Amino acid sequence: MSHGGRPLLVGLAYLAPSLILFAAFVFIPLGRTFYLSFFNTRSTGAPTSFAGLDNYLELLTSEAFRTGIVATVLFTLYTVPLGIALGLVLAVLLDAPLRAIGVFRTIMSSTIAVSAAVGSLIWLLLFNPSLGLLNHMLSLVGIAGPQWLIQPQTAILAVSVTTIWLTLGTNVIVLLAGLQGVPQEIYEAARLDGARGLRMFTRITVPMVSPSLFFLLVVDTIAVLQAFTQIHVMTRGGPVDTTRVLVYSIYLDAFQNFQFGFASAQAVILFVIVLALTVIQFRVVERRVHYQ
Amino acid sequence: MRHLPNYVVLVIVALLVAFPLLLALSYSLMSESEIATFPPPVLPQAPSLDNYATVFSTIPIGRYLLNSFVVAGAVVAGQIVTASLAAYAFSFLTYPGRTLLFFAFLSTLMIPWEATIIPNYITIRSIGWLDTYQGLAVPFMATAFGTFLLRQGFLQIPKELHDAARIDGASSFRFFRSIVVPLSRPALATVAIYAFLSTYNQYFWPLLITNQPLMRTTQVGIAQLRFEETLRWGLVMAGVVMVAAPTLALLIVGQRQLIRGLTSGAVKG
Amino acid sequence: MVVLVAAACGGGGPVGAGPSDLSAQAPGKDVKPAAKITWWHAMSGVNNDAVNRIVDGFNKSQTNIKVEAIFQGNYDDLLAKLNTAIASNSAPALVQVYDIGQAYMRDGGQIVPMQAFIDRDKFDTKDFEPAVLNYYKFQDKLQSMPFNSSSAILYYNKDAFKEAGLDPEKPPATFTEVADAAKKLTKKDAGGQVSRYGFGPSIYGWLFEQLLATSGAPYADKGNGRDDRATKVLWNSDAAKKILSWWKAGVDGGYFYNPGIDNDGAANAFNAQKTAMYIESTARLRGHINTVAGKFQIGTGLYPRPDDKPKDGGNIIGGASLYIMKSRPADEQQAAWEFVKYVLSPAVQAQWQSDTGYYPIVKAAYNEGPSKEWASKYPQFLTAVNEIRDSPQNRATNGAVLGVMPQARQRTQKMIEVVLLGQATVDAAADAAVNDINAQIDKYNKANP
Repeated sequence: MSHGGRPLLVGLAYLAPSLILFAAFVFIPLGRTFYLSFFNTRSTGAPTSFAGLDNYLELLTSEAFRTGIVATVLFTLYTVPLGIALGLVLAVLLDAPLRAIGVFRTIMSSTIAVSAAVGSLIWLLLFNPSLGLLNHMLSLVGIAGPQWLIQPQTAILAVSVTTIWLTLGTNVIVLLAGLQGVPQEIYEAARLDGARGLRMFTRITVPMVSPSLFFLLVVDTIAVLQAFTQIHVMTRGGPVDTTRVLVYSIYLDAFQNFQFGFASAQAVILFVIVLALTVIQFRVVERRVHYQ
Repeated sequence: MRHLPNYVVLVIVALLVAFPLLLALSYSLMSESEIATFPPPVLPQAPSLDNYATVFSTIPIGRYLLNSFVVAGAVVAGQIVTASLAAYAFSFLTYPGRTLLFFAFLSTLMIPWEATIIPNYITIRSIGWLDTYQGLAVPFMATAFGTFLLRQGFLQIPKELHDAARIDGASSFRFFRSIVVPLSRPALATVAIYAFLSTYNQYFWPLLITNQPLMRTTQVGIAQLRFEETLRWGLVMAGVVMVAAPTLALLIVGQRQLIRGLTSGAVKG
Repeated sequence: MVVLVAAACGGGGPVGAGPSDLSAQAPGKDVKPAAKITWWHAMSGVNNDAVNRIVDGFNKSQTNIKVEAIFQGNYDDLLAKLNTAIASNSAPALVQVYDIGQAYMRDGGQIVPMQAFIDRDKFDTKDFEPAVLNYYKFQDKLQSMPFNSSSAILYYNKDAFKEAGLDPEKPPATFTEVADAAKKLTKKDAGGQVSRYGFGPSIYGWLFEQLLATSGAPYADKGNGRDDRATKVLWNSDAAKKILSWWKAGVDGGYFYNPGIDNDGAANAFNAQKTAMYIESTARLRGHINTVAGKFQIGTGLYPRPDDKPKDGGNIIGGASLYIMKSRPADEQQAAWEFVKYVLSPAVQAQWQSDTGYYPIVKAAYNEGPSKEWASKYPQFLTAVNEIRDSPQNRATNGAVLGVMPQARQRTQKMIEVVLLGQATVDAAADAAVNDINAQIDKYNKANP
């Protein structure tokens, strides 16, 4: 009964459906990508000659790669913390047992129903420097809006805002579900102890939803590091490559320039980065998560 | 009345969040000529449904919606099953290599889509699943996101319940089926909603593996409204509204499920 | 001569350029065409309707061949899908690929050049628009059949011209004329903000290619990549630098509007009268007229060129063309050719022009009813027609052929951005861009022997 083997079999039995699908549609393709990264390839993707580490070396020494890393880091830093924080604020607002709160909950999570392509199109319209509503409304209060998608400094911000809006729905739903899992007794007990407002928020609410916060941290970071559509629709990696994040660079090399070996090397590097980041998050942050 | 300030804040925030979608709705009712003016318009002067009529005559939107629903529904069913089983294995079962396997799961989220899409196309093609619902759905029936989400939820279920069930002689699976799953309704609903919407919103995969107009899905349809030489905002926004409307409707229903799951005392005793 | 060049460069790819008659590459004349073939295209909206109209017409006109047209996304997505299909041996018989995909299609060895069919059947191409044909030739052999062709012109707001005291019937034609007109057309509102710019070109690689062409300057070496595979690009020529300086001066001077890479935004700005002039494809003409709906009068003029109006300068054709895929069996290739011939018939060409606004490929089409109707409805289109007809045919105006054309186009856009943002001087930006792309060309040539 306590053989190491039996529990493993049981565990694998539960994991089997997922593992089979992952093997077929994720791990094996990943293997192929890893393999291709060591080759030069023709336009059709067929390997022509062994390149060893050439693709990797060329990447790591190229300025375009460095720019890509910077863009990726900035994009992630601008998007993830703010997106989660906003989600939490909204979720707290929505946790109140008010009448018709369901309507507000639906509205604030509605961005999840919008695909990245669609959302990017709408925000592209909003960010248009002269014809977009955003700058027009800013001008009404006397602020001259920047040329959002044209200036290097603001383009990444614009894409960030779009991504925050797109992920707001997910963040709100997950955090709301988390908040609603918190038993009322805990709040009552804290209130009896004299906790109010901000103190209640930081001492009780945040720790109680920390599993959800952690979840969103991991998932949103991974998602942002893979965010492609917004950039494709709004900036195409520009201006001057300031939004040319790694995943977009891979797209260009794989599907526009048809350099599959090179693109595969980038994909492997991106994968390693994301993996490392996630491991760090688990090691460092999960410690502070409070599971009941 | 006491809650008026709450409502005011809620309304303001709701307007801000919904603004882009409301704008899409507004533009869908305008003519191209009206949209191309400066300063940019907000509300239509003479709202008309012309753009919607054009969408119907340009693409078989009804069929696309049906396809998207069928495929998304299949993926939801698949993900609920695979993710809850897997999440159980990552929360209540212990066995060697559990952490490693969990990371293997998470790693599937980290793989750039470009790395998998072409080999998957070749696989699907070689088993004859091009232009089929299975081809559209099966590759996505496992989910690390959903597994992770459910695992977080399952970890919140008190160990005492598990111990009690074991003492009662209930098998692992029975515990899973009769206790864990019912207690996790909000999380399951969340996984379902997320699975549905992300499948519904796919573009590149459906484009790649479908050729038949009758098998295509909504996002490909919207792309067909974006013309190579000109952009007709009104038309595109009409398509956007038509495609987003059913999912918004679903969200309304889903919201109620979440609440219902709670008020029946399902989560915490 | 051609054979020697090909041999010296290690062969011109699997297609080869040896014999002067390519008939051998086409299926035999007596091969019975297949009963059904597939055609992948990127035409959406009204253009999709126009495509279906052609296909229905063909299918109804005979009972031997049925063509099925399938929309496969925009040009980029279609090419990505095609590439995937080729890798898994599921390509269609006929496919529409955009202009800059030429080199990729040819170098990949996946096509049956149209010249093969033309030589085999002694098909008469005398009536074809030379400019349109020349774009799709490599070493003077036609690789694909032009399908939707457009070019670039100057769009201007006649009402704004009148308002600024300019002659609405005489649009500016040279760089300096455009700059001068733009200065006069720019106006500010009460608060000092610019309410209308004189000229608002988007940062679009194709527009830069056209400016080089009207300057009579080549984009790349080796006859713009048409005499042989290019080895480097020539964006640091004097002509190129003149273009960049002119553009920069305009933006810095506040009379050129910079919409960035957003082509639709630039078009929108023109429609909304935020700009009084801009440059873009002829294919946008009808869209503009419909959207503007009489709010102001739209004029079309020649594409801007250097002040000295170089005699070699002219415009390049853009758009997309049709390729017959070699991986399909001979009977399908035959069927595809039959369909292509149908598409080239004057009546079909005229209807296509009327439905979409693209140029007819055959001159006889202009005599057909729908074409005449079009001309009377959109007289502005005449400028475009004449512009192409009057363009001298040389390597510069034939347009560049590069295996890395999509990257090159993106890199020119980055080069222009850098210049307009003031991040580097014209010289530095041009040199940097040239070096980048030359390295890419090297890589491409090595990877695709």
